[in-house]
Amino acid sequence: MDSKLFPEGTQRCSFGQFMLWMGFLGAVFLWGVYGATLVLYNGIGTTGLDNYFGFGAWITFDLAVIALGAGAFFTGLLKYILKIKQLEKIINLTVIIGFCCYAGAMLILVLDVGQPTRAWFGYWHPNVHSMLTEVIFCITCYLIVLIIEFVPLILEQKQLNKIPFIHAFAHNLHVNMALFAGIGAFLSTFHQGSLGGMYGVLIGRPFAFREGFFIWPWTFFLFILSAVGTGPVFTVLVATLMEKITGKKLVDFKTKALMAKIAGSMLSVYMFFKIIDTWAWATGYLPSVGLTFDDMFYGFIYGKWLMFSEIVICGIVPAIMLVVPSIRNRPGLLYTAGILACIGVSLNRYIFTVQTIAFPVMPFDTWQLYYPNWVEYATSIMIIAFGFIVISLSYRYLPVFPLETKLNYQSGD
Amino acid sequence: MSVARRAFIQMSVGATVGILFTPTVWTLLDDVSIWTQNWPWIPTLKYGEVKGVPTVSKMCESGCAVKVRTVAGEAFGTEGNMDNPLSGGGICPLCANGVQVKNSPNRIAAPMLNGEEITWEKAEEVLVDKLAAAGSNVAVISGDQTGTVNELLSAVLTGKQSDKFYTMPCDMQVSDRAWTGLMGGSGQIGYDMENADVVLLAGADAFESWGPTVANMKAFANNEGGKFIFAGPMQTKTASVTSKWVPVPAEGMAAFTLGICYYVLQAGKSVPASDFDQFKAMVMAGYTPAKVEAATGVKADQMAEVAKQLLSASNPVVVPAGSVAANAAGIALNLLLGGGMKVLPEFAAAVDGAMTRSEMLKGDILQGVDAEMVIIYEANPTYALPEQVKAGFTVAIDSVNTETTAAADLVLPSLHSYERYDDLASPYGVASAIYTMGAPVSKPASGAKDARDLFLAPAGLDSESFAEVIEAKVEAIGADMDELVEGAAYVLEETPDMSGVTLAASALGKAAVPVKGTGAVGLAPYTVLSVGTANQATTPNAPATISNNQLVGDNMVVMMASVTAKKLGVSVGSKVKLSGGNGECEALVQVFEGVLPGVVAAPLGMGHTVGDEFSKGKGDNVYKILTVSSEAAAGASTWAGSTVNVAKI
Amino acid sequence: MQMKEFKVKWGMVIDVDKCTGCGACMVGCQVENNIAPMTKKDPYNYVQALTWDRDDASNKLKTLTWLYVYELSNGKSFPEHETAYLPRPCMQCGNPACVPVCPVVATEKNEEGGIVSQVTPRCIGCRYCMAACPYHARYFNWWDPIWPEGMDKGLSPSTAVRPRGVVEKCSFCHSRYLDAKDQARQDGNDPMDLPDGAYNTACADICPTKAITFGDLNNPEHKVHELAKGKNAYRLIEKLGLDPQVYYTSEREWVRKLGDNYNADGGAHGAPSNSHG
Repeated sequence: MDSKLFPEGTQRCSFGQFMLWMGFLGAVFLWGVYGATLVLYNGIGTTGLDNYFGFGAWITFDLAVIALGAGAFFTGLLKYILKIKQLEKIINLTVIIGFCCYAGAMLILVLDVGQPTRAWFGYWHPNVHSMLTEVIFCITCYLIVLIIEFVPLILEQKQLNKIPFIHAFAHNLHVNMALFAGIGAFLSTFHQGSLGGMYGVLIGRPFAFREGFFIWPWTFFLFILSAVGTGPVFTVLVATLMEKITGKKLVDFKTKALMAKIAGSMLSVYMFFKIIDTWAWATGYLPSVGLTFDDMFYGFIYGKWLMFSEIVICGIVPAIMLVVPSIRNRPGLLYTAGILACIGVSLNRYIFTVQTIAFPVMPFDTWQLYYPNWVEYATSIMIIAFGFIVISLSYRYLPVFPLETKLNYQSGD
Repeated sequence: MSVARRAFIQMSVGATVGILFTPTVWTLLDDVSIWTQNWPWIPTLKYGEVKGVPTVSKMCESGCAVKVRTVAGEAFGTEGNMDNPLSGGGICPLCANGVQVKNSPNRIAAPMLNGEEITWEKAEEVLVDKLAAAGSNVAVISGDQTGTVNELLSAVLTGKQSDKFYTMPCDMQVSDRAWTGLMGGSGQIGYDMENADVVLLAGADAFESWGPTVANMKAFANNEGGKFIFAGPMQTKTASVTSKWVPVPAEGMAAFTLGICYYVLQAGKSVPASDFDQFKAMVMAGYTPAKVEAATGVKADQMAEVAKQLLSASNPVVVPAGSVAANAAGIALNLLLGGGMKVLPEFAAAVDGAMTRSEMLKGDILQGVDAEMVIIYEANPTYALPEQVKAGFTVAIDSVNTETTAAADLVLPSLHSYERYDDLASPYGVASAIYTMGAPVSKPASGAKDARDLFLAPAGLDSESFAEVIEAKVEAIGADMDELVEGAAYVLEETPDMSGVTLAASALGKAAVPVKGTGAVGLAPYTVLSVGTANQATTPNAPATISNNQLVGDNMVVMMASVTAKKLGVSVGSKVKLSGGNGECEALVQVFEGVLPGVVAAPLGMGHTVGDEFSKGKGDNVYKILTVSSEAAAGASTWAGSTVNVAKI
Repeated sequence: MQMKEFKVKWGMVIDVDKCTGCGACMVGCQVENNIAPMTKKDPYNYVQALTWDRDDASNKLKTLTWLYVYELSNGKSFPEHETAYLPRPCMQCGNPACVPVCPVVATEKNEEGGIVSQVTPRCIGCRYCMAACPYHARYFNWWDPIWPEGMDKGLSPSTAVRPRGVVEKCSFCHSRYLDAKDQARQDGNDPMDLPDGAYNTACADICPTKAITFGDLNNPEHKVHELAKGKNAYRLIEKLGLDPQVYYTSEREWVRKLGDNYNADGGAHGAPSNSHG
């Protein structure tokens, strides 16, 4: 029915089957829309957030998807600036994932701020000292960049591209892509850092506060490193998941392994500094404000196992797995390491968001538990559904994977 | 068609700059910026001259001397009255919310007969008819302890040859029973905490719920260097600022006080009372420290220590609370020590045929009220004394809907304190006879009239309005109306005759023996003002101040020490059923080490079934599980010594 | 950020040994600053009626109380147990954690007097400042403010009503400061040299035990000047270097010890000059 719209030389599932799939995603998405409506109409009181947890599931989700979406800028940087040719086989997917992650984060932020109609005050009354201003600037600008990077791919759609103006426009965008990739890399690096900086500057929160370099606390750099250490493997995981769902080969394993190698190296660097940072914080900073490392943890929910999982199981272990070629080159192990690394970075964002504000700084204050309620889950899942919808549409109608025809319809022939 | 790279960039940049140079974007942004702040549903403020108008507030038991803050004539807030010794600038959390209660949708708008709105004329007609029909079988229950309104209402009774005047159970009544009943005194007992160097609060939660709370707190604040000791079954808020807490079970307070008397007598103190020798013999034989320790669990050396401090003080005062026996023992101890206990004269009456304050306090409401007609003035017996009141026809006068107005046959809406003339004569516990008066600050809410005016004729007065009664009162006591309206208090310096006062030796000897109920654990009911009192439910802004140690969600919280919890097999958060008296309560358990082991502390004032959303359905009503027992030797009824059984549910 | 020095520095000295935790200050504060009582139902919101109720004041994690009274315990068992009450307004920190993090300059510390402002019409409600403040002094309007019918006519002229979705906090009753300065100007006095008591907060005014003393910490003629230097005076979690303008005092050592963390050797880390943000 819609086969004329498919990318050149590819086959797709039937339209009915696709509609069924989209219907399922749409239903999940609408569930989230219902939650979002409650939030926007009734107020944020609808969620599980409270006076102790002004930041919660939403901010954790935002930080995690932004970290995982880092594949876009980092791969773009390597491909367009450092000219690593191999990466063009996956670059389109990184852009789409980046777009989904950033657009999703923006949507969640609209729900998360109490006065969404004032969200643009970040530009109107900017506080240049605030890490969050930097985040607002960079995220919005980078989303625009991602849209600009995404547009040529849309314009390359078989039927659209037949229109001469669109063809010319797409071509121009393509020619200038290195410029946008450069801007994107700059913006993205900064806000990945500012997101970490957001916590590092909290002088009133000993769990997160860090010394640093110039105006940037160490968390600034750690967040950049952890994002570039996991973004690329996340792209690989998404590509692999798409392969499982579609039953086609979309990216050659060589490219995947290269992405994993890049991520692994960055992850190793990250873990090196993360461990030094944690050690210095625990033995230097904390005692200086009358606290001990043990004070930072409480019960099971806020137990040390969280930090252990983050740093060892989901940090050192995947870093080693991705760096050692013999492990990395076995697909199963590569994917396992990738999943661990992604869990690790998400855990890191969760710990920095929730445990930071859960630790009762005043000695007479108490640890409080935070339970996100279904509204927060539903709206977050809505974003995931949104991502699936965008990727499904892109896969079906846009030439996302340059190697698709070669890997599926030509090899062996 | 082809577009050169340069042209493309030029076009993009040009378009962007072009849009930014038009005023469109900026005007639009500015509009939106303003728009985000103007929502029609956000109330706007009224501006104008801000004033502080002195008056009295009657929401707490003792009443507060306040200043009502007004803006352009509209009341918006309540603050203390620096010039009035009852306040000194401070007020209690209930009266602090006075204006909000005045403006509450819970106000009663019109008189009601059996749930139907009626006119004031009709209401007056019914009232007169019913009064005539009831003959002498009329009773009054007053929730006001200090107002001249009691003179009016008691004069109505006197005219009908009835003596059934009741107040809600209160410390003032218990003290009066001890002082004028058992000990043959006259006037009202007061305690000078401000000038004392050692203050023993023997059960009196003086900074939260006992006596003139705000005046007590002011005395505490002004008393530099004075030592305060609190004795009682739990660490109340008062105990958090006293230098010592002596854990004493409520039913053991009289014995504990006599145990201290033992040391004081041993030190050679005496009073010229006719039964001094008998008293001394009774204490030295029956209330030796060892015996008191055995009966109450209070260590002898703790009593010795307290006694030593009282004896070494130059101006000590003991402030008793609880049973009649505890009050009598406390007064006796004060007489022995000769410190800061005062006896206050009563102000002259304004209404012919009015009862004296002491006469008004004689009726024992805990024994039950049974009358053809019961007039209830700003009291809530249906809530606090659900079993005690039986009446053929009930008239309830109140400004807001309560359990009592909901159950009454005839409801007469009264004006809020800030809308009427009212007065405060010597709230119980103040150190000198003090009179404060307030004129209306606000216009009455629509439909509201002064219900007290309906009783002028039945009381045999030909005044037009209650304001004239207040004027007569001011004249009778010799005060200056203008000064009173400005917020100053009138103080009467006079000491009643003390001859003939005894130490109540024979009654006290028996009455002070601790008697405990049969339940598994003792019950320490306590009052937190922000939770409310027997007559006043919590106010709109007060719930934010109610701790999770009293209320969690809609569940009342009871507190106990960890040993008690362990004994009962409960832990923090357990849901329990407390049964005592003829009722049951549900509550959640909180462990608080400031409760005497074997005792459960439960907050009074919750569990309303009628009222606004701030009190209705919040927690449970502890009055239901209080046990009324007879203080046989003292001839009175008491809630002290209540016990409960606790079952986990 | 560089700390700004002020000639006038409004501050409080709260005597914990005098506070009975009665709550009058909290009620007075809500009335003065138009903090709506918390109601479960929103009669104007049909969607609310379709879902679950709003929070009432018993949920301390959702209440809005610029001033909050904490109950302290010495942690011992009966009969050694002791309690104390500690009112916590905004600390108006000299080196505030909240001010530099606000992305839209909705909170500033730049007015003479050293009061940390909160510009609620500008606040976007991101709650970053709440995450930054270790005192929990900042509150978010989780729900629309609603006064039961009739109660909105008696609003205080001191503080504009805030919509839901913005953060707010104690301002030391800032409009009273403006009023006091106006009064001084009218009387021909120096508004920058107000006499002790000319400007007082609602909580300090209403407190029956006068546990809260308010004044200019820099002015030797104000009582707080000396009180803040008392041997039992302390500030909350001072080691973090936030330099609060609210002091506490207690003769009880356990109360003072609960004012800061002493689990490890504390130094003077985070002194304002080398902190970041």
